[in-house]
Amino acid sequence: MADIFDAYALADAWDEMFVRPGEVRTAYEPVLAALQPIAPSELRFRADQMARSFTDRGVTYAFAGEERPWPLDLVPRILDALEWDLIQRGVGQRVRALEAYLADAYGPCRAFEDGVVPWRLLLNSPHFHRVTHGIEPPGGVRIHVAGIDLVRDEAGDFRVLEDNVRVPSGVSYVIENRRAMTRIFPSLFAEQHVLPVDGYGHRLLAALRAAAPDGTADPRVVVLTPGPNNAAYFEHALLARLMGVQLVEGHDLLCRNNRVWMRTTRGEVPVHVVYRRLDDDFLDPLHFRPDSVIGCPGIMSAAMAGNVTLANAVGNGIADDKLLYTYVPDLIRYYLSEEPVLPNVESYRPDEPEQLEAVLDLIEQLVVKPVDGAGGQGIVIGPKADPDTLERTRKAVIANPRGFIAQRPVALSTSPTLAGERMAPRHIDLRPFAVHDGNDVWVLPGGLTRVALQEGNLIVNSSQGGGSKDTWVLAEGPAERPASVGSGDLPEVAPRQLGPDGTTTVVQEGAQQ
Amino acid sequence: MVTDKGIRRLRIRHETRVSYAQAAVSSHNEVRMTPLTLPGQTTLDGRVTVGPAAATWSYWDYWGTQVTGFDLMDPHSDLTITASSLVETAPPGPLPGPPGWAEVAERTARSRLLEFAIPTARTTVPAELIAHAREVTAGLDPHETAVAVSSLVADRVSYLPGTTGVNTSAAEAWEQGTGVCQDIAHVTIALLRGLGLPSRYVSGYLHPEKEAELHRPVAGQSHAWIEYWAGDWCGYDPTNRTRADESHVVVGRGRDYDDVPPHKGVYRGVAGGPPEVTVEFTRVA
Repeated sequence: MADIFDAYALADAWDEMFVRPGEVRTAYEPVLAALQPIAPSELRFRADQMARSFTDRGVTYAFAGEERPWPLDLVPRILDALEWDLIQRGVGQRVRALEAYLADAYGPCRAFEDGVVPWRLLLNSPHFHRVTHGIEPPGGVRIHVAGIDLVRDEAGDFRVLEDNVRVPSGVSYVIENRRAMTRIFPSLFAEQHVLPVDGYGHRLLAALRAAAPDGTADPRVVVLTPGPNNAAYFEHALLARLMGVQLVEGHDLLCRNNRVWMRTTRGEVPVHVVYRRLDDDFLDPLHFRPDSVIGCPGIMSAAMAGNVTLANAVGNGIADDKLLYTYVPDLIRYYLSEEPVLPNVESYRPDEPEQLEAVLDLIEQLVVKPVDGAGGQGIVIGPKADPDTLERTRKAVIANPRGFIAQRPVALSTSPTLAGERMAPRHIDLRPFAVHDGNDVWVLPGGLTRVALQEGNLIVNSSQGGGSKDTWVLAEGPAERPASVGSGDLPEVAPRQLGPDGTTTVVQEGAQQ
Repeated sequence: MVTDKGIRRLRIRHETRVSYAQAAVSSHNEVRMTPLTLPGQTTLDGRVTVGPAAATWSYWDYWGTQVTGFDLMDPHSDLTITASSLVETAPPGPLPGPPGWAEVAERTARSRLLEFAIPTARTTVPAELIAHAREVTAGLDPHETAVAVSSLVADRVSYLPGTTGVNTSAAEAWEQGTGVCQDIAHVTIALLRGLGLPSRYVSGYLHPEKEAELHRPVAGQSHAWIEYWAGDWCGYDPTNRTRADESHVVVGRGRDYDDVPPHKGVYRGVAGGPPEVTVEFTRVA
């Protein structure tokens, strides 16, 4: 009988499930056995059921201006214990090196004095926020949460594609994907021991509490969101719920006497740690964009005085600039005296004159990325670009060499993905999430596997029409169960307090004569 | 009494009054008005007080400037900030021997000096203007270049208060040909950076009378000038076409005005008229 895996043709890349047509990798045997007998119409039915369930729960994302249900493919992505061990060590090492870099760049600047990283990388960066000067973060933690994007190359080796240490998002999808998969395919989990992902909220809360200003006996943590119109609002709400803490917007907070307070129906209560899901520029109109109305005026001053901890720290953008990425293997050797566990993708720095020439010569063979791009925006894949695009890119790189890096195109590994009524290979990546509590970098077992749903497409971001897969980490022994987190009794947030009619936030500055 | 080394002692009182058309609330502020202690300048006393009364805190920022912060959450119809200081200043020492341009370039690329060689949004000027400055300064050493560029700017941008605002950029000031010391400093910095000479913006005070009578208060203003790097940082006042000397009192130094604004704040409310600012100098020794 024909099944959905018949005619599954491998692409020119490492396939996660099959060694060669018909030969399945060991870790995937039970999944194949479970999926193979299911009729295509039945699979489609379950996929639709899942989409409806996501829509009902508000698990959606914005694509081309409309809200769509979160696209989860039915075939899980599986990492065995050995693979996971490597990823976990590699991600942990990366986070430790980037922490050391941030501490150095906002402190003694040894790496620049020693010529490991050029001064211009720091001093030119729009993310070098001098306002954070003098802040000693509790526990030395600036990267409370990291999302390190990995890909698997043609040889099956994991490589780091980019680091995200500002406001990495997507962990809610990891949790929701697992929830949906266990409902739709409970039998799949019977055969194998998949490490749970529901310990995330507990770990995050513990790390945030550990990050409270010294001497805080019972720290209060809040999640600060830009509001319901933000694309990741669902995630902000979910994280607050998982941690049992309040979800607030900027106007729910206020700063008085250089301390942060939350407005509640029971009056103002002190806040010690703000897990903020706002970009630096919007946090505090006194110190950053004066037109921001979603932040909290004075919160940066309170952080500078050590009265509140902002997580992640302000100014982390200097560590996940894509140009800095090219130096991370050197930083691992320099700060940690270790060899990188996970290599980078081979990259060029147009910022250096000799390399600029090489990039311009080879542009049709390279992937050119803006150093500051997010969500896959602005990436030009040389071999697939038309001559006009290549010419535009060439000009853009010449005009602003510091603004780009170039990389060897990597054929990302593929995973069987339901396309119509059959399985077809689609490219995937992996974003594991790490939580740093000052002692330990803990990596959530799994992570977000994103899929490029169009055939041959290498850009997996959901904002570019990508999908996702539940990501399984297999355990050898029994998994640890996280302790349950008490939700506690929480004060309600007071209704939004508006200024007197017609008032707006105004900037005052004195001119010099 | 005037000491033999030319050291003078100045009392400075800088008062800023802001009135609001409708009571202001949720006001968060930072003040940079306390003079630094440096070689040739000693701050004996520095205080910032606020009315209505508010708790203040203070810290030294990235640029080494002393900052006083405060918030006023309750409704208030006006705000008064008074910065008082007592400072001793000495005449500047001799200029360091000028380094070669190659040395300047080498040191700039390999140190934090680079920070003061990169244009900021406010200190970006058209390439033709830099090319013009390059012609004017051909063959000059860094000291001579700083003086020549300052003259070029002061000749073009005449001192005319009220023609520019706090947000005016170097390019705009050059274009319109008028401005205040802040604008003249920005254009000078923009050109010096364009020529590869690290330079920075200085915020401070200028005593208006060189040979002031003791104990007689005189009205003055807050002031801005520049420092350029020629082996060491050297002060120059392009608005007055003079080296920065014992009449200049340094409060802060940064890439441009935005790094060292004397007062910066946000509040909820309705703005009144422009702030009233008075600066009073009294030479006490």
